[in-house]
Order: sequence, then structure tokens, then C-alpha cells
Amino acid sequence: MPVIEVTNLHKRYGTTVAVDDVSFTVEEGEIFGILGPNGAGKTTTVECIEGLRRPDSGTVTVLGLDPTSDRGQLRQVVGAQLQESELPENITVAEAIDLYASFYPNPADPAELMAELGLTEKRDTRFEKLSGGQKQRLSIALALVGNPKIAVLDELTTGLDPQARRDTWQLVEKVRARGVTIVLVTHFMDEAERLCDRLALIDGGRVVAIDSPAGLIGRVASEQTLRFRPSSPLDESVLATLPDVTDVTRDGAHYIVTGTGNLPYTVVTTLAAHDVVAAELRMDQASLEDAFVALTGRALDVEAA
Amino acid sequence: MSTLTKITTVESKLFLRDTTSAVMAFALPVGLMVVFGSIGLGEGDTEQNISGAFLPVMALALSVAILAFSVLPTVLATYREKGILRRLSTTPVHPGNVLAAQLLVNLAASVVAAVAVLVLAAAAFDLGVPDNGVGFLIAFVLTASALFAIGLLVAALAPTGKAATSLGMLLFFPSMFFAGVWTPGDLMPSWARPVRDVSPLGAGMEALQKSWDGGWPDATNLVALVVVAAIAGTVAAKVFRWE
Repeated sequence: MPVIEVTNLHKRYGTTVAVDDVSFTVEEGEIFGILGPNGAGKTTTVECIEGLRRPDSGTVTVLGLDPTSDRGQLRQVVGAQLQESELPENITVAEAIDLYASFYPNPADPAELMAELGLTEKRDTRFEKLSGGQKQRLSIALALVGNPKIAVLDELTTGLDPQARRDTWQLVEKVRARGVTIVLVTHFMDEAERLCDRLALIDGGRVVAIDSPAGLIGRVASEQTLRFRPSSPLDESVLATLPDVTDVTRDGAHYIVTGTGNLPYTVVTTLAAHDVVAAELRMDQASLEDAFVALTGRALDVEAA
Repeated sequence: MSTLTKITTVESKLFLRDTTSAVMAFALPVGLMVVFGSIGLGEGDTEQNISGAFLPVMALALSVAILAFSVLPTVLATYREKGILRRLSTTPVHPGNVLAAQLLVNLAASVVAAVAVLVLAAAAFDLGVPDNGVGFLIAFVLTASALFAIGLLVAALAPTGKAATSLGMLLFFPSMFFAGVWTPGDLMPSWARPVRDVSPLGAGMEALQKSWDGGWPDATNLVALVVVAAIAGTVAAKVFRWE
């Protein structure tokens, strides 16, 4: 049974349509990504889930609650990490976590939470003195301190350096391991690909596709490309006639083989049978980014037609 | 511990950690007392109709005015600007608790500053104590209510913390002028005196001085304070935005 159901959500600010028509469901225990470019309507969508905004039309149900009319109950079970939300500059890490813990009926143990998020050493550090990564960890701690069933994380790693981003990703996986369902808003393809079980691609206030990262990639690109330099001369036709291969071209000493299915296995075993080793072997697969460009591009073409 | 108590405890720590607000609230009135008390302003001037109560009342009222016009609105507008109030509205606690806690902390600071001024006036400058204690208390409560209601209005209208500071200062200087801070007693030009009687800081200071000297505050002053508090407070409540 889904824990979040969004059906035909529509929200406008004045004459600007922020969310045109968005529907999706989030299952218990998964990391559900909402991926799209800036201004696609991602944040507005999750703000309707968090009860911060009232939809103009459509319905949102979170754990059986209506975020607008059952806001009081909703806030006890949904933890939020807001985009660009800060804390008073002089509050310490421990004070902030203690304070937020006091807001909830069954809070997590602040000391344990700090330890889990690697904030124990920083417990007496003021918010303004924290690094970007530490601020985000504190922000996650505050989203989790009420022991929520669902955590909504909006643009979690924006502005973080690569190491802090990777650390934050591990943290999100740890949170999910505690049984918390996670809704992750991001415009980073690599983040979505790495973390999400399923994703909704949103563009221009509409859902373009919902699938697993691999499923989305598979929709646009079934082909893979192998590039290698054979250790000894080899007739191209040996590869070109293989069942999975669609194309073989040469680029100087390198061969570029395009194909589908179990292409790497087929090619490498065939080469081995001819006593050829594939040197400098590289495999290119479509990424989520390719999928996104292809999917949104196609959607735009359809509208134009 | 109730949520409001907890938030108030944290907000008071933050208030004390912010050097600007602490200096404004406590060092300013004490400094005014020491500097002007030493040059004899505390003795008053019967010729210019300046009461001996002018100095302590001014020190006390200015410290309340700084807290109300500048410190409180700056903090609240900054909290809104930085999404702190918005973040709170995703928890089971209403952000109104932070507003209430901030008011409590600043009112408490006003009281502490007032007590410091009173102690200093009596102990160091031989200015005695307010002769009409009850009148003085009433005048203090109404002055604080009017000034803080204006501060809440500033917090409601200012889009950013910096804007709140500017707006607060913009109110503060004319308020000081019309309260006769630079032109006490009959030194104030006669055209400005009616404004002094009803402007929040002026009315407040007149009511406080009158009580200090043993009388009861004028009805004009008290009504002016009540009206300002009611109107500014109501409008602030109407237009205040959490995000």
C-alpha cells in the first residue's frame, strides 16, 4: 500500500503554473526521487506533501492523511528538510537538536542521533561556524529527530563539495535502512541514479516518466557501446556477424562496437576464441542524463506537433 | 518543560550571545546614566521645566525603544528571511511560539534594563525612586506595549532582517526628537509639543516622568499609548507572514 498518493496535483502562483498535472505514488520503505530541472515544480510538489502549500486542485494523501486539513497529525509523522532553510546563527548543534526533539511526542535520542550523523564532535559549535556539509547533516538530524515515518529531503546536496555529497548519500541510505520512507528532490542526475529506487521525472510541471533509474535509461537507450584496441589484427566481420552487434566501426587502432543485449560478454568471448585480447576496453552506456534529455525532448516535440 | 518555556530558554541564550542586542539593551541606558549623570543633567532645571526624572526616564525609555524598534523586529524578520519560521511550521509546533518567546525575552530585557537604571539612579546619582510607584508601573507597561506593538508591525512589514533594522532606525530617530531627548522640557519648540504628548515614546516618557515626580500620568498620554498599542498590534497580527 502506498504511503503517499499524489493525484492530478495542480498549483499556480498568480498566473504562473508551478505544477500543472502531477500524479505518483510512493511505496513504504523506498527512496523515491523527484528529478527535474530548476523551475520544474519539484519543490512546490513536495511542499504540498508537507502541508506547507494548499493544492489548487488534485488530491494529496500522506499516510492516509490530508496534508491541508490534517496538518497537525501530518507534522508528527513527516520530517522535512527544506531547501534554503537555516537556523539562528548562534544556536549550537546540541541546542537545535534538543529544541526540535522537544516538539515531538516520541523523539529520537538527541545524543544517538548526533552520533549517527557524525555531529557529536560539533555538539557545541554554533550554526554559523558549521561547514556546508555539517549544516546539511544537522538539517537531516532535525528532519529525523521526531522519528518520522516519511522524510522529505529537498535539494539535499546542492552547494556541497564532492566528498560531502558522497557522505550525505551514505547517510540517506542509512536513514532508509531504519525503515524511513524517503522522498528526495534533486536536479542532480548522478544523485538520483545512485540513491533512488524509483524516480518521477518532472518537467514543466508535468510528470514525464516514472520508473527505476535503470528502467528510465532502458526506455531511451537499449544500445551499449564498446571501444577497445585489439591486441592483434582482427577481421571486422567476425564481430559484425554476431547476433547482439548492430554496428562495428574503426577509429584508428580502436574498434567501436555498438549493440544490444549481453554485448560485452558476446564480444569478449568471441575475441578470446580468436586469441585476441581487448586492450583499453571501455564501455559506454546511456546515463540517466541521456534518458532525461531524450524523454523531455520527446515530450516537447509531441507538444510542438 | 512546556514548548514555549523551552523555546524561550533557547531564545534568551541566543539574545545574550548576540553582543549587539545585549550592548544595546544594557550598556546604552547605563552609559547614558553615567555620562549625563556626571555632567549634572540628573539635577533637572526648573527654569527650563526639566524634571530631575528626565535622565533616568530617558535612559530607560530609550533602552525599551531600541529593543522594540530594532532588536526584536530585526531578529523576527531575519528568522522569516532565513526560513527559520517556515522550517518550524513543518514541525508540530506553531512558529507563533518563537514570536511569543522573542517578545518575552525582549520584555524581560526591558525590565532588567529598567531595574538597572532605577538602581543606578537611586544609588549612584541620588535621584531617589519614582514617588508614584503604581503610576510608574502603569506608564512603563503601556509604554512597552506601545513600542513593542510598533516593533511587531515593523517585523511584519520588513521583508528582510536588514530592512527591519533600517525601518526601526527610521522610526527611532524621529521618535527621539518628538520625545524631547535633545530638547527636554521647555527647550522643545512649541509646535512640536503636541506631537510629544501623543507620540509613543514622548507620551511614554511624559507619563513616566510625571509618576516619578509623584503625580499620575496625564490621560492624553495613556490614551495615546493604548491606541498605538491596539492599532499597531492589530495591524501587525493581520499582516504578519510566516514566510
